[in-house]
This record gives sequence, C-alpha cells and structure tokens, in this order.
Amino acid sequence: MTHLFTMTHRPLWAVLCPLVVALLILTARNRPNLRESWTLLGSVILGHLVVSMTPWLLTHGPLYFAWFTLLPAIDFAFRVDALGLIFATTSACLWILVSLYAIGYMRTLKEHAQTRFYFSFALALTGAIGTALAANLVTLFIFYEILTISTYPLVAHEESPAAVAAGHKYLAYLLTSGVFLLIGILMTYFLVGATEFNPRGILTPALHTTSRLTLQMVFFCFLLGFAKAAWMPVHAWLPTAMVAPTPVSALLHAVAVVKAGVFGITRIVCHIYGIDLMQALGLGTALAVIAAVTLIAANCYAIGQQNIKRLLAYSTINQLAFIILGVALLSPMALKGALLHIPFHGFMKITLFLCAGAIAAIAGVKKINDLAGIGRVMPLTLGAFAVGAFGMCGAPPLAGFISKWHVALGAVESERLLLLLVICAGSLLDVVYFFPVIRTAFFAKIPATEILQGDWEESVSLYSAPKHRLETQSILSLFMLIPLAITALLSIWLCLRPNTLWLYDLAHRAVTRIFGAL
Amino acid sequence: MTEHAPILIVILPLLASFCAFFAGWRLKRGSHVIALGGLTAGFLTSIGLLRQVLSFGAIHYRLGGWEPPWGIALHVDHLAAYMVVLIASLALVTAVFAKRTVEEELPDRIALFWCLYLLFITGLLGIVVTADLFNLFVLLEVASLTGYTLVAIGRGRAKFAGFKYLLVGTIGATFYLIGVGYLYIMTGSLNMEDLRILLPPLYESRVVRTAFLFILFGFGIKTALFPLHAWLPDAYTHAPSAVGAVMAPLMTKVMAYVMIRVLFDVFTLDFAVAVLRATDALVWTGAAAILFGAVMALSQNDFRRMLSYVIVAEIGYIVGGIGVANATALKGAVLHIANDALMMACLFQVAGLVTYQTKGQRIDDFNGIFRTMPVTAAVFTVGALAIIGVPPTCGFFSKWYLLLGAIDAGQWVFVVALLVCTLINVALFFRIFDRGLYAHAQTGAPAPGMAPSKPPPGNAPLSMLLPASLLALAVILMGVFNQVVVNTVLRFAVPLEN
Repeated sequence: MTHLFTMTHRPLWAVLCPLVVALLILTARNRPNLRESWTLLGSVILGHLVVSMTPWLLTHGPLYFAWFTLLPAIDFAFRVDALGLIFATTSACLWILVSLYAIGYMRTLKEHAQTRFYFSFALALTGAIGTALAANLVTLFIFYEILTISTYPLVAHEESPAAVAAGHKYLAYLLTSGVFLLIGILMTYFLVGATEFNPRGILTPALHTTSRLTLQMVFFCFLLGFAKAAWMPVHAWLPTAMVAPTPVSALLHAVAVVKAGVFGITRIVCHIYGIDLMQALGLGTALAVIAAVTLIAANCYAIGQQNIKRLLAYSTINQLAFIILGVALLSPMALKGALLHIPFHGFMKITLFLCAGAIAAIAGVKKINDLAGIGRVMPLTLGAFAVGAFGMCGAPPLAGFISKWHVALGAVESERLLLLLVICAGSLLDVVYFFPVIRTAFFAKIPATEILQGDWEESVSLYSAPKHRLETQSILSLFMLIPLAITALLSIWLCLRPNTLWLYDLAHRAVTRIFGAL
Repeated sequence: MTEHAPILIVILPLLASFCAFFAGWRLKRGSHVIALGGLTAGFLTSIGLLRQVLSFGAIHYRLGGWEPPWGIALHVDHLAAYMVVLIASLALVTAVFAKRTVEEELPDRIALFWCLYLLFITGLLGIVVTADLFNLFVLLEVASLTGYTLVAIGRGRAKFAGFKYLLVGTIGATFYLIGVGYLYIMTGSLNMEDLRILLPPLYESRVVRTAFLFILFGFGIKTALFPLHAWLPDAYTHAPSAVGAVMAPLMTKVMAYVMIRVLFDVFTLDFAVAVLRATDALVWTGAAAILFGAVMALSQNDFRRMLSYVIVAEIGYIVGGIGVANATALKGAVLHIANDALMMACLFQVAGLVTYQTKGQRIDDFNGIFRTMPVTAAVFTVGALAIIGVPPTCGFFSKWYLLLGAIDAGQWVFVVALLVCTLINVALFFRIFDRGLYAHAQTGAPAPGMAPSKPPPGNAPLSMLLPASLLALAVILMGVFNQVVVNTVLRFAVPLEN
C-alpha cells in the first residue's frame, strides 16, 4: 500500500481530499463542531499536499499521473506543472484562512443550511484543484463543470427571490459557456486527435488541414467557454453573484471560480495554441483588445457602485482583465507578471472581501455611505481594507506592485505603449473608487441627521461608546479578524519576499517552459 | 447447459411468468418471489451469455437442431449480448424496486402484474436474440400486448392511455408486418442472414424499397420517434409507477436496437444511403425530435410527463446517431441506448419514490425533497446531471461520441440540436433542483416551519431506496468506465467498425 502515497499519487490525493471532506461534512451534519473540524482539517491537509509538490516540481520536473482511460486517447489524468501549481497553491492556502473565517461569519449571522454550505464549498474546492492539476482538456472540463454546479447552491444560499434569481443568472451564463467550451474541446480533438496540454501548444499541425478562420473561431469558442474569467460582455453574472455569503464571494468569486476562468484562458493560449500559433493567427492582439476594454469599462462601472461587495466585484473584473492582458501580450515578462498576479491578486482581494464581510456581519453595514466613521470602531478591519485597496492600485510595498510592474515591463518589451497607457489608467481609476471608501470610513463625520432619524438606535450602539472596540467583542469576531489580518500581512510580505511558497520560481519556470530558455 | 443459454434467456422468464400467475392464486407474496427467482436466473444466464460471446464470438443457435429456414434460429452477437445484459439487469433491479409500489397501487392485482411483467421481459429478450424477422414480429407483439395491458392496469386515465397505446402500437406493428410480408414475397426467406445475402440483387426493386420504408415507419412508431410519438407521454404518465420504471427505460430502447439490426444487418448501409437517402432523413428527424421533446418537456408540470418528453428527445439522440452512420456516432448511439436506459430507470424510480412518499407526481411535489428525502434527492441529482450530460456521469460520454461523429460527418444541424437540448435540459432540471433546495423561496410562503402545508413524508423502504441508489451508482460508473464497455463489447458490436 505504501506506493499509494508516493509523490506520483499526490495530485490524486489533492483532488480527492476536498471530496472526502465533503462527504465527511454530510455525515457530521448534526454536529456543527465536528463538521467545521473536518473542513479545517481538510483544508490544512490539502494545503500541505499542494505545497509539498512544489519543491519536487522545481527539482524533478512535472508530475504525471493517469488514472484510467476516459475516451480514446484521453486519460483521466493529472499533470502537475508550474502553471497549475500557482493556481492550486493560491486556492488551497486561502481555503485554510477562509474556512476559519467562515466559522465566524456563518455563526455570527446564524445562517441556515450550514451543512449544505460547507458541503458545496468543499466540493467547489475539488473542482478548483482538479481544474488546476488536470492534464488534458477533458479532465479540466469535468472539474470545471463540477466547480460551476457546486457553487450554484452557494450563490442562491440566502434562498430569497433575489438570491435564487442570481443563482439562475449564474447558471445561465456559466453552463451556456460550458457548451461553448465543449465545442472547443471537441473541435480540438477532431482537428489533432489529442487534448493533452503541452508547453509548445498542440494545435499547430492543424494549420495544414484546416483554415485559419476555423482555428480563430475555435479560439473564440474557448474564450466564451471560459466565461468564468468574467471578461466583458460575459461578466454580468459576477456582480449579481455577490448576494452569496461573503466567504463564498471571497474564496470563490475572487479566487477559485474566476481564477479558474483566467487559468483556463492561460492554458488555452499557452498550452493548446502555443505562443507562436497565437501570434501567427493574430489572436494575441484580439485578446488584448478585449482585455483592455474590459479593464477600463469595469473600472468605470465600479465608480458608481454603492454596495461594497458589488464594488469589489467590478474591481475583480478589472483585475482579471489585467491578468488576461498580461497573457495576451505574449511576452515572457508580461506572462510572468500575469501568473504572479493570480496569487497576489487573490491574497489582496480576499483581504478586501473578508473586511467587507466582517463589516457586514459585525456592524451590519453594506453600503459605502453608511461606513462613515466606522474606521474608529473597527480600526483593524478597516486598516486591512486600506492595505488591500492600496494593493489593488499597485502601490508598493504591496504584492500588486510586483505583478503590475512585470506586466507593464512586458508591455514595453513588446512595444505596445498604448496598452501600457491602459494599465496605468486602470491603476489610476482604482484609486478613484477605493479612496472614497477609505476616506468615508476613517475621516467622515457621522451625519447628525442620521442619528435623529433612521435607525438611530443602531447608530447609538455603534458610536456612543467609541472606546468599545466593536470588532473584538466576541470570540466569533476573532475568527473573522485573524484571517483577514493574516491575508493583509501576507499581501505586504509577498511584495518583500515574492518567492514565498516558491511562487516566483513557479512563475519563472512556467514562463521558461512556454517561451524556451530566456 | 451453457450452449443453450440463448434460448434459456427467453424460456426462464416465460416459465416464471406462468408459475407466478398460478402461485398468485395460493399466496399473494409467492408471485413476487417467483418473479425475482426467474429474473435472477435470467440475469445470471445473461452474464454467462455475454462471457461466452466475449470469449468465443457470436453464437448461432438452432432450436431443436433444425436448420433454418425451417427451424427457429437465434443469433447472439456482441450487440445482442450487450442488450440482453442490459434488459435482464434492469428488469431484476426494477423488480426489487417495484414490490412495494405494486402492493400500494395495485393491491388486488399483484399476481397478474408479475405475470405480465415477466411476459413483457420475455418479449423484449426474445426480440433481441431472434434471427428471424417473423419471430421478431411475434415477440414484438408479446412485449407490446403485455405493455398495453400493463399501462391499462393502472387507475384513472390509465385505461384510456393504454387504449391509445394499443391503437397506435398495433398500427406500427402492422406496418412492420406488411414490410416483412413484402420481403418474404420477394425472397422467400425470413431469416436475417439469409435476407442479407438475398436482398442486394433486388435493391432496385420497388417492392423491396417499399418494404424497407414500411419497416422503418413501423419502428418509428414503436420507438416513439417524433412525430410518431403521441402514444408515449400518456402511456408513461398514467401507468402504475412500477410499469413506468420498467417500460420507460426498456421499450423504446429495444426498438432502437431493432432499428439498428434491420438497417445494418438485414439491409446494408449503402442501400439506406445511396438508394433512399434514409440516413439524412433520420438525422433531420432525430434533430427535430430532440428539439421538440426538449421544448415540450419544459412546458410540463407533471414529472413523469416531463420525463416522457425527455425520452422523446433521447430517442432523437439515438436515431440521429444511427442516421449519422459513421462508426463514432453509431458507437455513441449504442452506448446511449444503455446510458439512457440507466438514466431513465433511475429517474422513473425517483418518480416512484416521490409518489410513494407524497402521493403525487407533480413537479410541486418535489418541494424540499433535499431536506425531507435526502437519498431520493441524491439519486435524482445524479440522474438529472446525467440527462444534462455533465461529466463524469454516463450521459456526457455518449454525447461526446455522438457530437464527434456528427462533426466528422458534417451534420451540423444535429450538433446544434444536441447542444441546444443540453441547455434546455439544464433549465428543465434546475427548475426541480430549485424546488427541492429552496422550496419556500419559490412559493413565497413564510419561512420553513411556519406553515407545514403537508405532513412530512414517511421514510421510503430500503427495498426501494437500494435499487434506486444502485442505479445512480451505475449511472456514474457507466460514465467513468465507459471505455471498458466500449473496448470489450461495443468495439465488436458496432456494425460499421469492421
């Protein structure tokens, strides 16, 4: 039996781990403490499994594990390479923190159907890790669909008509896009008879048998298929999905789900088409245009938002477009930046979401205008929020600076100065909508009218005792506070030490493989 | 003993059928025990048959040693063995499941039900193994007549549905019989292999062409191929739960099998393509059936009626796949016969479970099932995802072959129909997931616990939950290990491969 636990089998265990956790959660449905222990234990084990593969990869090269044959010439197989590990590490590590946070959040709000929540959450992690480690398009498709379906009950968790409608919108967008993904996979298989990922791309031979137009169409099928990347105009599901509980928005709609989309696009660009074919077909430019338009438009949408989570959703769309732009530039430096932005943005954005959730759960505030003065009663939370917000803008010493720097360098390297301008404008616009939030929270005076009218009872309880720290009132709040403090600190740490968890090495290795020796 | 397996597979349920009827006079429970015994024996024989075919190739069996064309000939090749195992195993699983629903819904006709059930299975198994077009007709009538009766045995509108089924089904059988008659006039033979040799010189004959069309039309009715499907929704909606659970998965699928037999083993593909352009017609009809079935399913409020229209769409998959007529698509069609049988058995058992617990079969009766009947809900989830075609359930893989074959043949209409149907199925089943998951959000009723409109349903017995769970597991395993099935059985079963 010992051979089952060798390094070769580790990707399988990594994928199965959250699945087993999901089943254990079901069996412990009547014992909340045991149920949450399973989640926490599972997340720690998963984190260990994923991270432990990194040093092996860096010294021995990719791990390949084929389980059984799915279809002719297609195995149910996992291939652990640098690109996949970046995504898997991000999801797995953040799952630990979000599990901790979810306990505080769900219990503070006394949410219903918590077993369903934790079950679907663990299942979604299976989908995310499987997507990251899949060795071919069909295996990726299987996990990608698991991710879509398992997050549906999470989006509609509240069960209010609005939440159910949001769930429907979510499914309508993502399952329709799944059909396009399937077309893309089928066409790839039809054209070259394989779906394995390869750093040089696999579609090049198809140029001899089919027209350029077909290959371009297939690429757009893939692009539509990865609507999880929320590029415009297939982004509308993401802001709507913000009715979900905050842990869901944080881990899934800032990290696992949306990054699965971006990750998929990266896979297609680098490992199915290959850089040369992308250039030959002119698809890099097309992708860059889409990304640039999304980047600017999403920021413009964000400026008008009143709901904090919706604002963050548009900010996510903007950052995802930034990653896609980095990939679309087809330059080594930009790709490295884009790959680094997957974990870096994940850490920073999750900080913001966790803060928004903590504010909503502890103080009951969801609108930006109602934040007035809240920085004084929840200084830690809002401090973390400020850190995350600065990171979004790409200010040093935050992780966002490193990745944005690389992508900007890449834009210069490939002589696309207009796109450099877009990147700078995007970062500027980030400041425009994040700054008012921070200003309101820390410096705005509490409007007198609000105390007289409205829910003054709440206002009094909030502000009458300023010395009373709202955020440290109960032990449950600490469950929320600690994770968000950790992610905020990590966002800074990752700027100073970008090679934490070998993230920089991984990105470097992935780029080297795709572009050849630099 | 093993060399007689081809006839034993037909004889065993037939004998059990008579025994069950007489046993029912003395002891009501006796008939079910005998049915289970007969079906278990049949199932074991079918496994033996499959192993025999896999190791020694196709079996030609002469009943009583009489050579055809005088004697009765049976022919079991890979495709037939595959179907025999499918029918025998589903019949057994459904028989276990049906015990309680029959006691509940037909308390005074238990013995009669089991007698007819076994005769029905006898007919289906006979259809699959026979090598003679006229024997096929006889066995078809055995299965059909018992089928009409099984539908009509139910309450309320079931009698009318059964009568409608009888009328339409008889017309279909008559078309088939006339077609076979014409072939007999032209060739003087009814044996399938004989005909395969005798027919090609006569392909230009108008009589042979008419015969081909009559036979195809007859099967069109029997498979409920759109627009000849009208008998199906009524029959499957009003029949007793147990009948729905056995007929819906098997009847139309066996007919699709016979269509493959006639199209590729009696006639040749060249005939169908070159002389009649029948395959293009099949693809277009299949595409129309898929879209029609999916849209009609969307507008139903009765769960079993909805499933009936899903069957109409699924038949479109199979017939369209036959029409695409390349090895890949045909593999998909044959794989989908088994997959669809499993999915439908799974979902009709869910319907039976819901009816057993809530006394209703409307979609509204699914409100809150994830809380009140979690096992049923889990089985339903698997079945529904398989129909939608979400991997790794089996529905995805047959669809993969069908799509790939259609792309290869340039049948884009069929590709689009399949993909659109997938999306409609999403809407179809997520409508029910919503009711099951978030019941109070749908009805606008106050929070749960405030207004219990119905008493909480009692627990379903294990004898119903176990078969249903087994089927759900089979739906997943059939998907995950589809290559095992394809490589060991279907590779030889698909007519165009060799």
